Amino acid sequence: MKKKKLIPAVVLIILLIGSVSSLYVYATQSDELTISINGQKYTVDQLFFIAELRSIDSLNISGIALDDLIQKVCILPKHHEYTIVGADGYQKTVEWENMENGILTYEKIVVFSDLPKSFRVKNVVKIEVI
Amino acid sequence: MEKKKLFAGIIVFGSLWGFAECILGPILDNAGLPSGALMTSIFAIGLMMISRMLYKKHGMQLGMGIVAGALRMFNPFGGCVICSAIAIAAEGLIFELIWYYLSLDLRELKSYTMKISMGFISAYFCYVGGYITTQILTPLVVSANFYIMNLIVFIPQILSRGLLAAFIGGITVPLVLILKDFNINSIKDKLYYSTAAAVSILCWIFIITNAVLLISS
Repeated sequence: MKKKKLIPAVVLIILLIGSVSSLYVYATQSDELTISINGQKYTVDQLFFIAELRSIDSLNISGIALDDLIQKVCILPKHHEYTIVGADGYQKTVEWENMENGILTYEKIVVFSDLPKSFRVKNVVKIEVI
Repeated sequence: MEKKKLFAGIIVFGSLWGFAECILGPILDNAGLPSGALMTSIFAIGLMMISRMLYKKHGMQLGMGIVAGALRMFNPFGGCVICSAIAIAAEGLIFELIWYYLSLDLRELKSYTMKISMGFISAYFCYVGGYITTQILTPLVVSANFYIMNLIVFIPQILSRGLLAAFIGGITVPLVLILKDFNINSIKDKLYYSTAAAVSILCWIFIITNAVLLISS
């Protein structure tokens, strides 16, 4: 008898949580055309003009080198961590060693050759320096 | 039911699940469809539900998740291999935990409200739980750092995406339960074991050959 009441109640709670989350995601989703790096906003074209190109042959992907980009944009020492944030809120924090193996493609996707695909961030809107 | 028969069931259903994840998952992904939600709510929940119904044994779905996750590791293409393998194994464990308190003969699932509700709950928790587990464990497995904030800020997205899986799961479970009266013990041993072996071997050979061919091309 208990289960007959509890199980549909759990469904209602999930519906409520899922709906509220969907509203929150919709309200906070960013459709920025620029990428903010350490507080400064750049267009993709600007970034491709600034930084050197790099290819990841094994994945057949090319873009600009993240380590070179950071050095040219921020001129920061290497001992930092970097959080790459996507428009949907997906974010990954990586170390300088990973940035040395990372690229930003023209489609605003960050890819690391030394990390699994779950570390890829699509539609990047921000790179934070921690 | 003898242990040998159960073990064969775990291998065959786990192989079918892994096969679907390796072959159909990337196809759905390339087609721009939400492959994660579809794979969990249709194939994972469908196959785990069928095995639950036919074998009526605790622990079987966890075993299936481990077999399917292992098979996923053999296919280095289509999404994140390690993340997928971890998520699949986690889904097996989560399903097992959700269904632990329900009777093995599924007598509670007489009404459609209960069938749909259990499908909804199972798919939602398997999807959300698998996603969260893989976000935590993947960085640790690949010796990268895990940052809790990266996960926390993405939780609303995960909870939101889980709804699609939940709605489809609410359809999958009642459909599977149509086959409820089938008795696996009615199949003769010789036919059972030969079919289980053939299906499992075919799944594994197909995945390994596919991976080897893709690497060499």
